[in-house]
Amino acid sequence: MSEDIDVKLEQEVAVFYQSLGIHQGPGDIQYRIILRVLGRNEGRITEFAEIRKYTDPFADKGSIGSKMKTVFQLEGLAEKVKRGGYIITDKGVMASNFLKDSTTFYKKNKRMGEIIERMP
Amino acid sequence: MSAGLLLNATICFAITISSFAFAWVLARSEEEHSEKSKPTLWSLIVLWSLVGLTYLPTTIRMLAAYQGMPALDLMMYNLAAIPFSFVSVPLVFFIMYVIVGDKKISAYTSLLFVFFGVAYLTFLYTKGVIGPEVSTFSSLFVINSDIAINIYLMGLFVIPTAMIIGLLFLIFLQRMPKRLRYRTALPLVAISFVFDFMLTDMITLVDVMQLAARIFVLIGTVLAFLAYFPPLTLQEKLGIKKYSYQLCEHQEDIDYDDLEEEEIIDV
Repeated sequence: MSEDIDVKLEQEVAVFYQSLGIHQGPGDIQYRIILRVLGRNEGRITEFAEIRKYTDPFADKGSIGSKMKTVFQLEGLAEKVKRGGYIITDKGVMASNFLKDSTTFYKKNKRMGEIIERMP
Repeated sequence: MSAGLLLNATICFAITISSFAFAWVLARSEEEHSEKSKPTLWSLIVLWSLVGLTYLPTTIRMLAAYQGMPALDLMMYNLAAIPFSFVSVPLVFFIMYVIVGDKKISAYTSLLFVFFGVAYLTFLYTKGVIGPEVSTFSSLFVINSDIAINIYLMGLFVIPTAMIIGLLFLIFLQRMPKRLRYRTALPLVAISFVFDFMLTDMITLVDVMQLAARIFVLIGTVLAFLAYFPPLTLQEKLGIKKYSYQLCEHQEDIDYDDLEEEEIIDV
């Protein structure tokens, strides 16, 4: 069963991490979306078009392709198995889990922030 | 007619004054609060006013006991029972709104506690009370209805206290700046203190325990004051002081590489 990716939430989380001075990894919206799509397709080939379906509204094809090469392939998070087809590695799954934790951390902090905001 | 009763009346009066003063100070600071925190601020104002309104007739009651006027004592007991039975209403609203953030849900939940309060008063007034039994330190009444006591314990106190403890755990489990932790946890501890010792005060059958409970209610009120207006020494000791500072505007002019070189030469 594939989980849906909430681009708006991912953007919110990325902005939160950027506000903490973390501009790479969890603070990078492109990284987040690519890894979320790859993580969702664990054990299956992810088509580049599938990633672009989510990233097209805010990033061009070139920068996503470049990110795939310079971050994901270079660091061994994903492997290119065919033209426009990638598969997530074990290291990539680890990164994907970390990304999920980063979302949980954001949600927890947001909820607590709201609670504190409501305290007189 | 003993000095113990006068001491009791003085403590009740101190609680009344400090609760009203605290409610007034909170009301005056309304403009400093955001729209989101205003509902909770007002629920706190109502809560502290109700505490004050409970202890004002109680003060008169203790004086009546000192003067040997049982009719006035009973009348004041019945009067104090009204604000007392609704103390849990603003408290439940406060906790629900802080956690959920929805005014409607919080209002409906606290409405349930209005019913608990009304039920308690109904049983209290229809079944009546036994007393007063005046002793060295206090004047005691025995509630003549088991149902009223059960409503009182379960509805008015156990649930709201459990809510406070839950909220406290939520705050303690979260890593947050010391200043925020102090500002959020201490008011809850203070409210819990006041709330629980009010319960003890109302149902105890031991005169010294009633006096002790009232002292703790007073301590709770002082704690609430400290939570919102911590003295400077306490702020410094706990490391929660907010320093006033000016931003360094000429930061760009400083060349850190040069500074390092100078330091190396000095050494």
